[in-house]
Amino acid sequence: MKSLFLAGTALAGLTFGASAALAAEKSAVLANYANIAEAKYQDSLATAQLLKTAVDALVAHPSAENLHAARAAWIAARVPYQQSEVFRFGNAIVDDWEGKVNAWPLDEGLIDYVDASYGGPSEENTLAALNVIANPSFELSGKAVDAAKITPELLESALHEADGVEANVATGYHAIEFLLWGQDLNGTGHGAGGRPWTDYAEGDACTNGNCGRRGDYLQAATDLLISDLEWMAAQWGAEGDARTALLADEDAGITAMLTGMGSLSYGEQAGERMRLGLMLNDPEEEHDCFSDNTHNSHYYDGLGVQNVYLGEYVRVNGELVSGPSLSDLVAEKDAELDAEMRGKLADTMLALGRIKTAAEAGLSYDQMLAQGNAAGEALVMGGINGLIGQTRSIERVVTTLDLDGVAIEGSDSLDNPSAVFQ
Amino acid sequence: MRALALTLALTAAPVAASELSSSITDKLILPAFEELAADSRTLARAAQADCDPQSGALRAAYGEAFDAWIAASHYRFGPTETDSRAFALAFWPDSRSKTPKALAGLIRSEDAGIKDPAKFASYSIASRGFYALEFLLYDPQLSTAGTPEYRCALTRAVSTDIAATSKAISADWQQSYAAELRAPGSRYQTEDEITQELFKTLTTGLQVLDGMRLGRPLGTYQKPRPNRAEARRSGRSLRHVLVSLNALEPLAVALAEGHADLQEKITAGFAKARTKAEALDDPVFAGVSDPAGRFRIESLQQEIKDLHTLMREDLGPALGVAAGFNALDGD
Repeated sequence: MKSLFLAGTALAGLTFGASAALAAEKSAVLANYANIAEAKYQDSLATAQLLKTAVDALVAHPSAENLHAARAAWIAARVPYQQSEVFRFGNAIVDDWEGKVNAWPLDEGLIDYVDASYGGPSEENTLAALNVIANPSFELSGKAVDAAKITPELLESALHEADGVEANVATGYHAIEFLLWGQDLNGTGHGAGGRPWTDYAEGDACTNGNCGRRGDYLQAATDLLISDLEWMAAQWGAEGDARTALLADEDAGITAMLTGMGSLSYGEQAGERMRLGLMLNDPEEEHDCFSDNTHNSHYYDGLGVQNVYLGEYVRVNGELVSGPSLSDLVAEKDAELDAEMRGKLADTMLALGRIKTAAEAGLSYDQMLAQGNAAGEALVMGGINGLIGQTRSIERVVTTLDLDGVAIEGSDSLDNPSAVFQ
Repeated sequence: MRALALTLALTAAPVAASELSSSITDKLILPAFEELAADSRTLARAAQADCDPQSGALRAAYGEAFDAWIAASHYRFGPTETDSRAFALAFWPDSRSKTPKALAGLIRSEDAGIKDPAKFASYSIASRGFYALEFLLYDPQLSTAGTPEYRCALTRAVSTDIAATSKAISADWQQSYAAELRAPGSRYQTEDEITQELFKTLTTGLQVLDGMRLGRPLGTYQKPRPNRAEARRSGRSLRHVLVSLNALEPLAVALAEGHADLQEKITAGFAKARTKAEALDDPVFAGVSDPAGRFRIESLQQEIKDLHTLMREDLGPALGVAAGFNALDGD
């Protein structure tokens, strides 16, 4: 296996030692944050390249082993990516781009065959059961679309968010996840999607039809993921737009950091992703619903938030990126609040760790959502309460750091709240 | 509009924060939830008396109780969040049609668990609350699906559950949370944090009006979404905008206590929005699909955006608090 870091480049900017003796400068805190962002997107890219190697092997030589290897590569690729989600809110450039790589939830019938229980087109989405893999041409908003060749261009331009419906997710991690696992038909019972490797087999061995087109789709989606991640990693480089925008105004930059932490913790993770799924008792509401990898998705999202406050990130090769942090800034002004904030973040990680522990021991996240599963509900509520609790402390940090008169870019909900509470 | 204002001002409001929050608690919040509890109790009784979806008494009681919820729904903290009670009363928007699916599932299987209120309280929020009841009373398919006996039992179960949830929220406010809001303690560390909670309630309420109640059906010019109008089956979409404006205005005015100029601007802004809403004559925003109708709905939306801007840029700084985070953050 080729080294993960062939593709990596040296981090832009300076590397700061974790020197607590010096007063933390906002500019240094921002530079460290940008370095961590760059490292996370580089790691996401490197692990996506390993995913591509595995996907190519599956398509070239379909087998149970190669499907298993591709799934394992996908799960590994999620580790750095989920930790980067905290950059979404607060950094407009990330938020505008994010839908291409991590949109969720999706009406997967757009992409491939689905079980009869899925139903057909819905009131909200007439394309919910389009099945591009089975249909080399179809009509979209009254226009004929030629899908004889499945290319990154087709997925990105014609299909993704087709008809203006966000559930038409044609690209990104979750589209790939669906192609590797298939629908999870176990409801709130144990077990993930059970797509057979023969969905990629050649000739008579092919199951569920159109195996060649399915392989084309999987490869096109993976290629697109890579080019999207390449682009984002570059935005955080020395001259990249994301870094430049962040550093342009110190107070705005610090506010962006805190916006990302608060918006991801509260509205996004505690609200939409966790509590709603729990209250609906609905396995479709779990974030990584095909692979049953949701426990990791939540855990690494939470870790990303903690990373930003502590100013540190462990790369996929084990290297630690760290430097001056928000924690340093807060401690100088109010040591008690810093301790409170650290404590709250640690509490959340403990609670999310409990979910992960139970899931890895066999109680998958969708089982926790089952009606009447009091223990599962308590685990998930523990995570939610941790996230809500830490948001209050983040608000206190905003107040204490006196970020005067700053308007921030990038909380998608503010110009498109339609997706909220879904 | 992409700006989340975390505006902090240096000046303190002339009215002591605790006085402000005590007055808002007593005059606005407690009465709103008492009303909700009372109207929901009436709704549950009406369903017991006559569960026919066409029943005038039941529909009237439903409308009253739903109004009461809309008028209280922006106080989305504390007692409404305990046990996710607000979600249990009001699961909307439902972009993947979970509510009709959940109700159809119950009716098809004649699930007997609905007859036990404690058990029903653990059911999916998609089958509970005001939006589920709307399907049972007004949706052509679901109001006639399965047997009348089972539908009747389900209508009663949902109504009883709404009453129990509303009662629990009101009781919590009376017994414990009102005290939290009157003075700093365990939940809020400073008076500013209390003020911030109330301010956030107001701005979030306006955001829901703008982005969800109006923004969802508006969709885009190329792709309007009339089917996404809130509670369109019962013809309540526009009504919810008015009820909400009427409930948010006194809160805004109260928060601006001591700032006469600002209070005047607030009253004028709400009056403009209300006038436009009242003139619409389009109960379910069907007009989003034609240019003239759309223009008038967008113009109402603009008034609400302007109100939001006024709160963020004038009221927030006057109170010396930041907008903070709300449940609408995220995507």
